[in-house]
Amino acid sequence: MSATMESVPDFGALGERAASSLQPESLTDAQRVARARQAFIAGIDADMATYLESCIHCGMCAEACHFYIATKESKYTPIYKIEPLKKVYRRELSPLRWLYRLTTRDVTAAELEEWQELAYDSCTQCGRCSLLCPMGIHIQSMIQVVRNGLAAAGFAPAELQAVSVEQRDHGTVFGAGPDQLLTVIEQVRAKGVEVPLDKPKAEVLVLSSALDFLRDASVLEATARIMNHVGADWTVRSNGFESANFGALTGDKRAQAKISRRIIDAAVACGAKTIIVDECGHAYPVLRWEAATLYGKELPFEVLAVSEFLAQEAKAGRLKLRKKANGIPVTFHDPCKLGRMGGSLQDARAVLAALGLPVKEMESHGRTNLCCGGGGGVMMLSRAKGLRQKAFELKREEVERTGAATVVTACNTCMQNLELGKEWLNWDKDIVNLVQLVSENLA
Amino acid sequence: MNEGLYIQGISLLDFARGPALRWAVVVFVIGVVWRLGAMLLYTRRDLSRPNAASAPGGVKALLTRSAPPHELEKDIMFQHYSGYAWHISMFLVLLLFAPHMLFFKGILGFGWPTLPNLFITIFTVLTMVLLLILMVRRVTNPVLRQISTTDDYVSWFAAFLPFLTGVMSYTHITFGLRYEDMLALHFLSICFLLVWFPFSKLMHAIYIWPSRYKVGAAFARRGVRA
Amino acid sequence: MAASKTVGDVLRARGVSRRGFMKFCAATASLMALPPGMVNAVAAALEKARRPSVLWLPFQECTGCTESLTRSHSPTVEGLIFDAISLDYHHTLQAAAGHQAEAALHAAMEENYGNYLLLVDGSIPSKDKAFYSCTAGVSHYDMLVEAAKGAAALVAIGTCAAYGGLPRANPNPTGAVGVQDIIKDKPIINVSGCPPIPVVITGVLAHYLTFGTIPELDKYGRPMAFFGQNIHDRCYRRPFYDRGEFAETFDDEGAKKGYCLYKLGCKGPTTYNACATAKWNSGVSFPVQSGHGCIGCSEPDFWDKGSFYRPLSAGYWGDAKTVGIAGAAGAAIGLAAAAAARSRQKKAQKEEQA
Repeated sequence: MSATMESVPDFGALGERAASSLQPESLTDAQRVARARQAFIAGIDADMATYLESCIHCGMCAEACHFYIATKESKYTPIYKIEPLKKVYRRELSPLRWLYRLTTRDVTAAELEEWQELAYDSCTQCGRCSLLCPMGIHIQSMIQVVRNGLAAAGFAPAELQAVSVEQRDHGTVFGAGPDQLLTVIEQVRAKGVEVPLDKPKAEVLVLSSALDFLRDASVLEATARIMNHVGADWTVRSNGFESANFGALTGDKRAQAKISRRIIDAAVACGAKTIIVDECGHAYPVLRWEAATLYGKELPFEVLAVSEFLAQEAKAGRLKLRKKANGIPVTFHDPCKLGRMGGSLQDARAVLAALGLPVKEMESHGRTNLCCGGGGGVMMLSRAKGLRQKAFELKREEVERTGAATVVTACNTCMQNLELGKEWLNWDKDIVNLVQLVSENLA
Repeated sequence: MNEGLYIQGISLLDFARGPALRWAVVVFVIGVVWRLGAMLLYTRRDLSRPNAASAPGGVKALLTRSAPPHELEKDIMFQHYSGYAWHISMFLVLLLFAPHMLFFKGILGFGWPTLPNLFITIFTVLTMVLLLILMVRRVTNPVLRQISTTDDYVSWFAAFLPFLTGVMSYTHITFGLRYEDMLALHFLSICFLLVWFPFSKLMHAIYIWPSRYKVGAAFARRGVRA
Repeated sequence: MAASKTVGDVLRARGVSRRGFMKFCAATASLMALPPGMVNAVAAALEKARRPSVLWLPFQECTGCTESLTRSHSPTVEGLIFDAISLDYHHTLQAAAGHQAEAALHAAMEENYGNYLLLVDGSIPSKDKAFYSCTAGVSHYDMLVEAAKGAAALVAIGTCAAYGGLPRANPNPTGAVGVQDIIKDKPIINVSGCPPIPVVITGVLAHYLTFGTIPELDKYGRPMAFFGQNIHDRCYRRPFYDRGEFAETFDDEGAKKGYCLYKLGCKGPTTYNACATAKWNSGVSFPVQSGHGCIGCSEPDFWDKGSFYRPLSAGYWGDAKTVGIAGAAGAAIGLAAAAAARSRQKKAQKEEQA
């Protein structure tokens, strides 16, 4: 069902190459610890304090984490991943800190460095642990603060740091700027598909990402076909097209804010009322759920994931689809950042229903879905490949139990990770992106 | 403070259910209220547009969190259920044993129906057996060994000792101690529990409610059931 | 006036048959938890026992103990035992009064010096407040010290004599104490109770007469034979306690059905006495059977253990005011801690923005 695509780029290699040019700041251990501590102190709000006071060390969170389940390594216990945060909280902010100073040891630079693997390699911020904890601890919400601290201490992985610096300073990811965007757009236009670029005024601003078009133009082409089909007044802006936010992935708050700001400014400049996040994954929640707070005021536009937009347009009757008469069941892989952490759980399913494709759900689906293992920047870390492969086994098993031959998803990172999985396992499943499925079945 | 009990020749029992208990209650109240101040740290103002109201999700999570979806906890069902089982069993003994109910009646001003002693004995034994099994689990399971601290072990004793001293008093199996002294130890174990409570993980009995509410509200805001 | 007659002589003179006498010995032996084989030994000993001189000194008391001991609807052998001893001094029972009575007391003490049994009831005001309780111009404190010098043993009858009893209750204006708080160098048997059960005192005397020794005593100096078990373990209402059936008020259905009185303040579980087995009025009844919870009257300081109607398990946790103040204190500290933490956070956040 999927159009032929180039194989997934080796992001690990790209990341390593970027890292090689990184000039790491030289800091003493004491400085690193002080910076991490300050980042933690600034980032722990009342909700997180409540969570940190509530942990009873029951270890149930491990059972929800795909990295733990796949490896049975107890260090991947989710609450353990935020241990440095817990320590600083207890010693610096807790009401009982004078008591805890006597019983809780301070973080050390060595410890922070050790935690790099736990906060970046073995956590995709998928949020599954937050659903299981009997005390109601939102562990996922605190991983980001851990990354903030590690990044401030200079302990974010070099691969992510390098791209974050590039994006912060130059607005590009892996060197892909407006020129590369134009090249890809021209490829799409060559197929006879209109792609408005830098319209001075538009209702809808569509985002893309180097992580997508570094591969090929197929997703951008599919998106453009759909936008034109529904008759949207849309555009892509060359100074605000990149939806990926390496500041967020790295944990660099300032970079994150600056990068989000570019998109906001681009939308304001063309008066867009809606932004569509095409490269999903972390891009969606970073913009939908975090950008406004960093911006300092409510966003003057709506942020929609592609699947949300598709469902909305289908319901409104503007998106007309060809229904498959003998729809063979497919299974749907919920992207964590869209579903559980995003709020869009039914949109993709509504679209699949409109396409006449019955869905055979995996055991963990919807808000309890199992992460594909590729989000949160993990794909950028070559050293984490073995870990991701092990975690993918869980996904494979669930897919196979549905008996479906096709896995549909609505996130490019998920799709790319699923395709990598297909390569590793020599899998016979079809991996399909929702956007492409829709664009191939426009009525 | 001294109303009702004047002690000249004070026995251990008089001390345990009198001054010791009073001071334990004072420390308990001060500690609990003090520690609740953690909820007064800065509140993040979320300026994103919500998908739904957060409060209903918060309220729902107070209860639904006790029954998570099965697929999330396939291998953890034993710990999950025995954790709830011992808590429920503990509350049955604490609240439905007539002498205990009368203790609370003295504080609250109202009482409630209680169970015959045979059931209390059964639940007491069940509670202690489950606590022992869970402690064995804590010291043998790799995940629990990774994350356990001294607090976990002391808190276990704080929970276990009232049952041990209670059952020893009730059955008069006291290894030579007088019944009144055993009963005094039972009261003193409660005093220890009260004093330990605010400074340990036992505080989860109170923090579980705002914590569940907050996670429920956070997810509900995004349109997801927590 | 001590006579040389033996106990056996006296009983026969009173017309007590051999069978009646043996019955009493069996009952007494059983009461003292002696094996059946000892009955003959008890009988033989009592038969030949010389009538010992017994002095009864009443101090700061209500005469309830004497009343209890002399209560009998018909002459009982217990009563006869009292006749069998040579009760050489007893305010209530003796006919003599005034200086003659005091003279008789001192004569008896001299004549039987080192051998007489000294029975005491009522508490004794301590030395610095001794003036609160006197007889014939002599303080009871001095009387006790004097009389104890020549005693073979002392028996403190009633909770007042044993531990201070009612006069010792807070605020204890007379500085009342028990016998054992004053006399340290003589054997003392505490027969506590408010009042004690008649058959308990006779059992103790019978033991002394039979063996010439003090019976086995518990931690509070009470004979184990009578004070070794608590009321709760021998109470006939125990099945109701176990089944969870209680009287909630003194005249509800539960009370009428004779349910357990725990909720109405019964102190049976921590009270050691023979009430539930030997009972009162020759075995007719005891407080619980009559529908009132045990008040723990044989225990030290029982007047100061809080209300008789407060259940035993209710603790003395303080009061709402204290809890309120503690809560306010906790809130103050918590708020201060939170304020300090928040200002730290603001500073860190400002640095972040900069």
